[in-house]
Amino acid sequence: MNTIPIRHKWEPYLWLLPSLLLMSIFVVFPIGIVFKLSVSEISKSGVVRGFIGLKNFRDAFRDPAFGTVMLNTAVWVVSVVGLSTLLGFITAMALNAKFFGRKVARSIVVFPWATSLVIQASVWNYIIKGEYGNLNNILLNLGVIKSAVNWRATYQIEFAWECGVGIFVTIPFVAFTVLAGLQSIDDAYYEAATVDGAGFWKKLRHVTIPLVKPSLTVCTVLNIIYVFNSFPIIYTITKGAPANKTDTMVTLLYMRAFYDNQKGPATAMSVIGFAILCVCAGAYMMTTMRKEEA
Amino acid sequence: MKKIAALILVMLLALGCVAFAEGDEITLDVIICQYGPNTQDWFLGTGMDGTNFVDKFEAENPGIKLNLEVVSWNDVYTEVSTRIQNNNAPDILNIDVFANYAADGLLLPVKDYCPDELFEDFFPSFIAQSVIDDTVWAVPDLASARALYVNKDILDEVGVEIPTTWAELEDACQAIVDFYGGDVYPWGIDMTTDEGQAAFSYYVWNNDGGFVDADGNVALNSDKNVEAIEFAIGLVNKGFTNPNPATQTRYDLQDMFGAGKLAMVIAPNQLPSYLADKGYEVNWETAALPVNEGATPGATGVMDRVMAFKDDEYPDQAARNEAIGKFLTFFYAPENYVGWVSMEGFLPAVNSSVAALVEADPSFEAWLAVLDSCQFYPTALDNWDAIKQGVIDVEQQALTGGDVKTLLDDLQAKIAG
Amino acid sequence: MRPSTPETVRRANLRALAVALLAAALALAMLCLPLYRFSATVFAKKSGNTFVGDEKYQAVRAEVEAEAARRAEVTGRMPQIVENVTERTNSKGEKTSMVAFEVREVMRRTGWQFIASGLGCGKVLLAALICLVAALALLGAGLPGAMATDWPTLPASKRVPRRIAAALGLLALLLIPVFMMGCNLAFSRQIKLASDGFAKPGLEALLEKLDRFLYDGAAGEDTLSLMGGVAYGPTWALRALIALLAAFTLGALMLSEGHPAEALRRALLYAFVIALCALILYPYYVMVITGFRSNAETTDMYFQHLLPTKWVWSNLSDIINRGVPRYLLNSLMLSVGATGIALLCGIPAAYAMARMRFAGKKAFLGFVIMSQMFSPVVLLVGISRLMNAIHLNDSVWGLMFINAAFNQAFAIWLLRGTFVSISSEMEQAACIDGCNTVSAMLRVLLPMAAPGIVTTLIFVFINAWNEYTISTVLISTAANKPITVGITQFSSFNMIEWQYLFAAALVATIPVVILFMCIEKHLAAGLTAGGVKG
Repeated sequence: MNTIPIRHKWEPYLWLLPSLLLMSIFVVFPIGIVFKLSVSEISKSGVVRGFIGLKNFRDAFRDPAFGTVMLNTAVWVVSVVGLSTLLGFITAMALNAKFFGRKVARSIVVFPWATSLVIQASVWNYIIKGEYGNLNNILLNLGVIKSAVNWRATYQIEFAWECGVGIFVTIPFVAFTVLAGLQSIDDAYYEAATVDGAGFWKKLRHVTIPLVKPSLTVCTVLNIIYVFNSFPIIYTITKGAPANKTDTMVTLLYMRAFYDNQKGPATAMSVIGFAILCVCAGAYMMTTMRKEEA
Repeated sequence: MKKIAALILVMLLALGCVAFAEGDEITLDVIICQYGPNTQDWFLGTGMDGTNFVDKFEAENPGIKLNLEVVSWNDVYTEVSTRIQNNNAPDILNIDVFANYAADGLLLPVKDYCPDELFEDFFPSFIAQSVIDDTVWAVPDLASARALYVNKDILDEVGVEIPTTWAELEDACQAIVDFYGGDVYPWGIDMTTDEGQAAFSYYVWNNDGGFVDADGNVALNSDKNVEAIEFAIGLVNKGFTNPNPATQTRYDLQDMFGAGKLAMVIAPNQLPSYLADKGYEVNWETAALPVNEGATPGATGVMDRVMAFKDDEYPDQAARNEAIGKFLTFFYAPENYVGWVSMEGFLPAVNSSVAALVEADPSFEAWLAVLDSCQFYPTALDNWDAIKQGVIDVEQQALTGGDVKTLLDDLQAKIAG
Repeated sequence: MRPSTPETVRRANLRALAVALLAAALALAMLCLPLYRFSATVFAKKSGNTFVGDEKYQAVRAEVEAEAARRAEVTGRMPQIVENVTERTNSKGEKTSMVAFEVREVMRRTGWQFIASGLGCGKVLLAALICLVAALALLGAGLPGAMATDWPTLPASKRVPRRIAAALGLLALLLIPVFMMGCNLAFSRQIKLASDGFAKPGLEALLEKLDRFLYDGAAGEDTLSLMGGVAYGPTWALRALIALLAAFTLGALMLSEGHPAEALRRALLYAFVIALCALILYPYYVMVITGFRSNAETTDMYFQHLLPTKWVWSNLSDIINRGVPRYLLNSLMLSVGATGIALLCGIPAAYAMARMRFAGKKAFLGFVIMSQMFSPVVLLVGISRLMNAIHLNDSVWGLMFINAAFNQAFAIWLLRGTFVSISSEMEQAACIDGCNTVSAMLRVLLPMAAPGIVTTLIFVFINAWNEYTISTVLISTAANKPITVGITQFSSFNMIEWQYLFAAALVATIPVVILFMCIEKHLAAGLTAGGVKG
């Protein structure tokens, strides 16, 4: 085992202490407050009154938009995490191959991550504006289209754009995690596979994926959490309009808290979201990690 | 590692101590909304003849410090409500709503801090908009009035007159569509989450409907309202409007109007200065909003407010009230207030500045007349926020195919019940 | 792989050559066929307040028919007359009607006519033609005497011409979509701009060419208005041309490489990387060109200019005057501080996780992951209350701790992976030599783990640099705002000053990108350790 001897039983905990302290003060304490607020009555302007039990949760579940928004959230998380993982994987494979200009390409791929989400969302919001957006500008002036196109004709399309932007900004994170995994694979594995007569797909299935999987696991868990909680893209591009049909859970609860002044149910919703995440991410982690250990 | 943990704790404590140290002077936390590109510069930069509001105020009022923040409208509700939840409300707040704050007992009555002389200066009809239970809770900081703007060149080319009724409006829209095809949108509608309630008022108030009935009770599902909203949605469905009313904001519409892509739009009185700033050259004219045949016209006015929050922990309440009063007196003094109102092209809320404003821009006079006849949102209702978001939701649901009558019935049941 | 004998090579080459020659010949033939079909208005007349059959109608009808007859004399074919009647009842119950006459003609133009027209699109087509002919010539030079030579042993004098031929074939193929884009520019885009009143330079010349090309010079001054009613579309011959050029390219590729699979795979790789990079750079291109436009041009609804007509560099000084440097400085302090704190707390924790055995290890890991599960948006109220309590409200210091705390999970995950991947032998030796664990870590492990630490550093730095929501609520003094919050002043209530927003966004992005580029090498190395063994 790759461990070192320790002198006292309590020593490891001492090492963990700063991190624990930091997180307890700045993350756990606010989480505690959220839990407390979720069972408190909160006035419209935000004054916290007493304990009211689970009324906030009942109201949250009864929210007319709750069903639509849960569905949207599922679509959002699955499509963004799923597609960005797939595309990130392909990107990593491409960036791992030897070709002219690889260093430049790698630097470019990190760009979307180096820009804050608010800015990314604003740029894309500008790009797809039908009236003066840049997509129409560039396509018209290059002669690709004959007349300006309304790129956000229906809310379904707008939601698809939002997912697209989500995927766009998530790819670099996945790509670099996978790339790191790819780089560490010993060429000997591939040579052995070639000798065995394995083609591209066989090598991918039997060598690449199994070896990259561990690094993907934690990356995916964090990704699920970040994407579920992602807020600026939807808030900037549609604000959930029309009628919460493009909202996800986090944007809905933000709108409920600060636009509709239903602060109690909004807080309850955030606890519900937390529970959902715990179950999903937890289940994912359990299954993948158990397999690894086995 | 103990050292690091200790260091962090020490640092926290030290910072805490620094923050506790307070002097004799009073500091007022002020939150101002960002009305346009010049707001921040006027209050904090160099936009007030080379100086700024805060510096000038502090120089003239020794002993009072301003901790003034200009917040974008996107973030101001978040910030204010977070601060209220933490018992950390600002001393002075500039925002559009006040009823919830008053209902929670957070506000000081205006009488407590506003000098009589200043109070007399406000337009009485404006002050009346901020009264709940005979107490005035806020004072207006500015107003704007909405009117119909038409692109005269487009209308002339098509050969239609400025529509005054809904029927004429539909005719004009059809004629413009026939003439231009898809190149020009005849009519602008903004049903966005930001300001969809304005669209609601444009149609229901011009059909003898409204948010409330004659007795002041919420009446959202009246037949008149249903008819009005069905008419508005009908305009969208017939292809007479901008394509995405749920996400195209008033500013998108103003840009379209400026570019000659939109023939008619309902916009506030500061539209001309917006167009001029952006360099648009449009031959525009204003007119009253079209009404449904037989209905009384109703203009829409919008007003924002300044209010003061209680701070029971402050030792010397009288001194605090006096400081707030000084802030208001300074703000509404003509030499400052005229600059503030005209900077973004708004309309004033006090008499003392009217003369100077009219002198600077004679067109103000006509607008002041419009303002007199304006109806305002029923912001004094304590469920105004629910009404506002509710009607926006109804509009957006209707845009995606919902039935207006059912939607308004449901909303009424939810609000009244 | 089957062994290749001279005979099989010769046969394969012949096959490929046949494909290439046949495709080229057919492609040339396609140029003689019509590539575009135009349904063009050659004359139009509208008449309002008319009803079919009345006097006014008759008069206009006669005028239109005379024009059609005149047209028939020029072209030798009688054009079609289309009559459109719009009837409407207005709100007052009056019936009105409008009759619109159009003299329409269906026209087809062959490739050679395009080339002869002198239009931009014609020039592109000519270029494609030249590429094809040159490719044929090169094949002619690269084949004789080497038909049976196995591909890997081809001499350069034979291989290079074949490769260039394939490349030229590809170029010709790619020029066809460019040709179609050129057609759109000439037949609709510039006409539309001109009729909206924004004439581009060279419009006169373009109209003259279009007049000759479509109307045999008969339209004269009316060309612009007539062109407004032209509908056009590619014919099957143009689509066939694309397929044929693709076939030619493939043939040439087989001649130069033998088996095109590997070459295709390379091409696919380059295509993917180029497309990806183009997509990723696109928003930055938008930021650059919009950030330096004038205010009016950012919302130009006629899409007049691809690039700013005038690069307004003063946007940069404007945003500097509006406080951007101060915000940048705050962001820098905040990110550096957050990174420092995150590492100071994260390294020991990761060290313990990687090197020590103790009860509750999994619980700690679970705790770390759980701590990430609330969106900062959700925690706003809690965080704000906490900050009030410890008097770190409205301070960059508070933001540092918050950001450090929110990045602990990531930092610990990466660092632990790095440490695990490094053998502990050296540390064990150091411990036996009398070092305590602290100095074993500091002196032995950390230097070796440098790449992983650099990676963590950059991740945390970027996350802190990009944080927005918490800062919005916590920071109220303008002088304390980080850049993400500072730039919201350019987008108040959706009245967005796009040029300032994007100029500031660029300024905010550049430092991070530079940092990233400098450190890219370490990044990959660090992630290797962090990821795989994690």
